[in-house]
Amino acid sequence: MRGWIFASILAAVVAPVLAVAQDPRQIIEESQKRGRAASQTYEGLLQVTDPGGKTTEKRWVSQRLGSFGASKTILRFTTPAEVKGVAILILNHADRSADQWMWTPAIGRERRIALQDRSTRFFGTDFTFEDLEERDVDQFDYKMMGEDNIDGAKCWRIESTPRKTKSSQYSSLQLWVRQDNYVTARISCFSKDQELRRLNYSQIENVQGVWTARLAVMSDLKRKSRTALKLEKLQYNLPMAEDSFTVSALERGQ
Amino acid sequence: MRFLIVLLVIGTAAAQTLTGRGYLEMRSYFYPQTASGDSARAVAESVLNYEAFYRPDSDFSFAAGVEAQTDTHAQTERVFHLSSLDRGLRRPPFALHRLTAAYHKGLLNVELGRQIVRWGKADILNPTDRFAPRDFLNVIHSEVLPVTAARVTYGGQTNTLDLVAVPLFTPSRAPLLNQRWSGAVAEYPVINLPSRIPGGTQFGGRWNHIGSSGEFSLSYFEGFNHQPLIGGAVVPGAIPILAVQRYYPRLRAYGADLALPLHWFTLKSEAAYFDSRDPTADRYLLYVTQLERQSGEWSFIGGYAGQVVTRATPVPSFDYERGMTRAFLGRVGYIIGPNSDLTLEAALRQNGRGYLAKAEYSRAFQGHWRATVGFAVIRGSQSDFLGQFNRNSFATLALRYSV
Repeated sequence: MRGWIFASILAAVVAPVLAVAQDPRQIIEESQKRGRAASQTYEGLLQVTDPGGKTTEKRWVSQRLGSFGASKTILRFTTPAEVKGVAILILNHADRSADQWMWTPAIGRERRIALQDRSTRFFGTDFTFEDLEERDVDQFDYKMMGEDNIDGAKCWRIESTPRKTKSSQYSSLQLWVRQDNYVTARISCFSKDQELRRLNYSQIENVQGVWTARLAVMSDLKRKSRTALKLEKLQYNLPMAEDSFTVSALERGQ
Repeated sequence: MRFLIVLLVIGTAAAQTLTGRGYLEMRSYFYPQTASGDSARAVAESVLNYEAFYRPDSDFSFAAGVEAQTDTHAQTERVFHLSSLDRGLRRPPFALHRLTAAYHKGLLNVELGRQIVRWGKADILNPTDRFAPRDFLNVIHSEVLPVTAARVTYGGQTNTLDLVAVPLFTPSRAPLLNQRWSGAVAEYPVINLPSRIPGGTQFGGRWNHIGSSGEFSLSYFEGFNHQPLIGGAVVPGAIPILAVQRYYPRLRAYGADLALPLHWFTLKSEAAYFDSRDPTADRYLLYVTQLERQSGEWSFIGGYAGQVVTRATPVPSFDYERGMTRAFLGRVGYIIGPNSDLTLEAALRQNGRGYLAKAEYSRAFQGHWRATVGFAVIRGSQSDFLGQFNRNSFATLALRYSV
């Protein structure tokens, strides 16, 4: 009898937790919640490997104010020399696709990246402009696909499909979210049934209380090329001014 | 000037706040045909450009840059000096390309000094870009020149007011009259008289609005046309001489531009009406409408540039923007790989009397280098702005080292 009561209590306490944990939307929400920070800054090393195996390097400095939904990001290239000063501003919105502008010092003007142009590769990398956006939880519908192991860590495999508010080159994404720390370990990007790109996250570390992947590798499965993004000098919660994330600030920060 | 030298020399001593970028470019043009008054078939140019940026704190920043140039075709002055206003008919051997002090606080940004000011949204032609004179010594390969200006920008992400005052005029560098890009078939020997540079401050304002579904601007300009009218007189003698003088009429411009992302394309449009109190200057409306799309590795821009003249005068001019109107303009870009790309450009006059086709292949290598090869084909009748350069088709080769 005592055992049954204990089992009932255990079930009463644990079952909702498991139910919550098994709800794919809440898993993504929890994952985003754990990644929240007032700001983030890092120096990114991009290693682009073309289909022939040749690797070239680019570097940018990333500054992000806020997290998901309403965050603002500026990426500013520092090398190679010929793209030094090129910058992109990304204003993410909770209810619609992000707005993006690119500043090119050589021509002295900014250009808005239109929604239909977001499938274009970003500066010769395997990331597209759309891949630079943050994917807010409410812009997708979710479906639990099962569990897998990624790099020895148990993960939930979740399919997300964009809602109407989210215009995307991808018809669906599959996300592998680690069960131990809720960090996304892999994202597969599909157009219909064809996997176009795969983003693998690794070197996951706790930085100032935020579990963060220090290495992201985007593979273009069609071109057979890949881009590795290493996050160096990563810091969270540094003070940043709101007015540094505007179109006119793009030019100012050159 | 001491400030400039200090900025350029102290290098990386204060690496946290001092940054720089620059390049050395060597470019050659090969012309299969000689032109009237210009028998050269090959022209080589080199330019060294370096800019340094110093930011002592978040409110203030300083920038300085110089450009050193030379060439094989007497397009650059041979007397060595540093030009701060760049008003000569030829390129200066050393030009102050940038020298600014900027203050930023909240929504306010103030920038004083030698700087590049760009207005407008279109890519194929910019009627509203009134503070951006250009170097047109090669008409179809022009570069924007800086101006000496005070620029105050106030605003956030949604609305921005941009006020510009230019107390010292910098003209566009029109083609040299004794060289192939003048386009003229000379009946007499030509001498260039010094240009009449106007005095007085130019000023303008532009309000830019960025909305969720598009963006647009309204602008006003009061100043001078940076592209010249050309006065000339025949000096009689045993051999008559044509004496030519460039002058820059007063100009008032009312402009508007917009960028509207649609389902399949981005629509960009720009227009300006130009009024002048100078009786020798035309009054006219320039407009351009273009569609733009990027898809995968491809980018496409195509549109039409038009002109409506409300007062015509017989005075000849060199005006690139007007010259490229009444034409269909387009550009196609293809990214071949992380380091190489291909660009094709074309302009076709609506009456078919002139066209231009350009192609460039560009490849970066070893981190700092970029090589570019290309060609341009120009055809048309002598009376057409493009067609007058019908003996100026060329192949080009450029090598750039960037730091």
